[in-house]
Amino acid sequence: MIRRLLREPGKYLAILGMVPKVFMAYQIWFWVSLVLGTIAMAILYFFWRAVYGGTQAIAGLTLNTTLTYILLAQVFRPLTDIDLIFDFGYNLREGGIIHQLLRPINFQGMYYAQSLGFLGMQMVLQIPIALVATFVFGLTWPTDLRVWAAFLVSALLGFTALFFFVYCVACLTFYTTEVWGLGVLFFGMSLFLSGGLVPLAMMPDWLRTVVLAIPFSQALAVPLNILTGITPLDQVHQIWLTQALWVLGLWLASNLIFRVAIRKVTVQGG
Amino acid sequence: MTRYLSLYWLFLTQRLKALMEYRVNFIIGAASTIFLQASSILAIWVVMQKVPTLNGWNYDEILLVYGLITLAKSINHMFADNLWTLGRVYIRSGGFDRFLVRPIDPLFHLLADRFCQDGVGNFLVGVALVVKSSLALAIAWTPLKVLLLLVAVISGGFIFIALNLLTCTAAFWIVDSVPVTRLVFDNHLFAQYPLSIYPKAIGILLTWVVPYGLASFYPAAFLLDRELGWLAWLAPLAAALLLYLGYRFFQFGLRHYSGTGT
Repeated sequence: MIRRLLREPGKYLAILGMVPKVFMAYQIWFWVSLVLGTIAMAILYFFWRAVYGGTQAIAGLTLNTTLTYILLAQVFRPLTDIDLIFDFGYNLREGGIIHQLLRPINFQGMYYAQSLGFLGMQMVLQIPIALVATFVFGLTWPTDLRVWAAFLVSALLGFTALFFFVYCVACLTFYTTEVWGLGVLFFGMSLFLSGGLVPLAMMPDWLRTVVLAIPFSQALAVPLNILTGITPLDQVHQIWLTQALWVLGLWLASNLIFRVAIRKVTVQGG
Repeated sequence: MTRYLSLYWLFLTQRLKALMEYRVNFIIGAASTIFLQASSILAIWVVMQKVPTLNGWNYDEILLVYGLITLAKSINHMFADNLWTLGRVYIRSGGFDRFLVRPIDPLFHLLADRFCQDGVGNFLVGVALVVKSSLALAIAWTPLKVLLLLVAVISGGFIFIALNLLTCTAAFWIVDSVPVTRLVFDNHLFAQYPLSIYPKAIGILLTWVVPYGLASFYPAAFLLDRELGWLAWLAPLAAALLLYLGYRFFQFGLRHYSGTGT
């Protein structure tokens, strides 16, 4: 009897103990990504301080401007984070793509809305990183509201252009059905091509031309140049126009490619 | 020992046969890591076009540091990548129990179960960087320096493996150990650059606590006849100590392992 009394609560305590374990599994990633983000920022921070060791300005940028740019690039990294390739690949493998194509809504519009929602959520999750950047690494935020407005428009245009570009590449999975390598390759290229590691102004002309010709930079480097004041406000209209042309061109291209590629869809299961 | 070596050979050839069934994936996997590294190296190149040195280290000297850590990392990546997946793939699914009923060390079985082809990309990048930089720097390869290079890369690889082993053992309690491993593993990124660019505390951390610096900064300093280079000879000691601790901790975790019920 006494034994049973002792054993009974034991069972329930075990179940009670499970709750924090399950909860922790999600919580732990939150804290770990915060530490990983801090490590990444610390490396960039000290690297750039060492680069500026004895120099006042490199390619017209002071240490302060460069650090602001690099830290903001870490905070706004979700702008280049579009997971379409893995999404397409997953839906192809599982067969879910059939149902999506049959729905009475625009297939591309659905994915765009989804990516935009994902971006919003990612940015909220970046708040702790932004706090670390501010209070640990002394990031000074721009205060001019017009600069922020110009940045937001440019960021949205650039993100949209990049979305259509990634959409074009994701259509390739209809042919290759190989997703993992393509995704990693894409991620590897985006690190540098987005301009998040080195400000575009420091690149040799030929390299800057290449980087500007690939839409990753439209989503990160171009808007960040506005936010950090590297690009003066009077050039903003011209930049918006260029970005709008990018959006238009890539929207057309993505629809064209999709139309051809969709005939190749072979669902592997589901 | 010879038994384990021949067993490892058997596991490896089986794994390669399986990999060769999907040749394109094999090549893309190995190439993917090259692209990841190319991003960082290109960034270093751009910056070093603008300034002569980074805290007294020139472009090729930095490439040597970067190449050494990449070589050490590739050993871990090729031969011990399965430590990452202990919790997610083996413990969660119950597949780990398979190892426990076989007449070989479960840790050996885990490591031998999957040679990771993605590490080949890192290995090639590391070799290319070390060869390129040592030619450009005209390093005089005395027997002592050749010996140090071998010692540094191999013990560096074992430092990576041992630290991953210590942290992945958490899987026996919390199943998914990847966040814990990442927490320690990501510190190696500091060691891609000369430790002298960081504040003292980070230098101490990377030398005495998570000694990734012994696999990059100190051997590079020794090869370049810089100060503190002699510390590179501590790498085998650190690797042996960490491996011993890691193995004991793994055994301890194993005794507490009760499966997930799947």
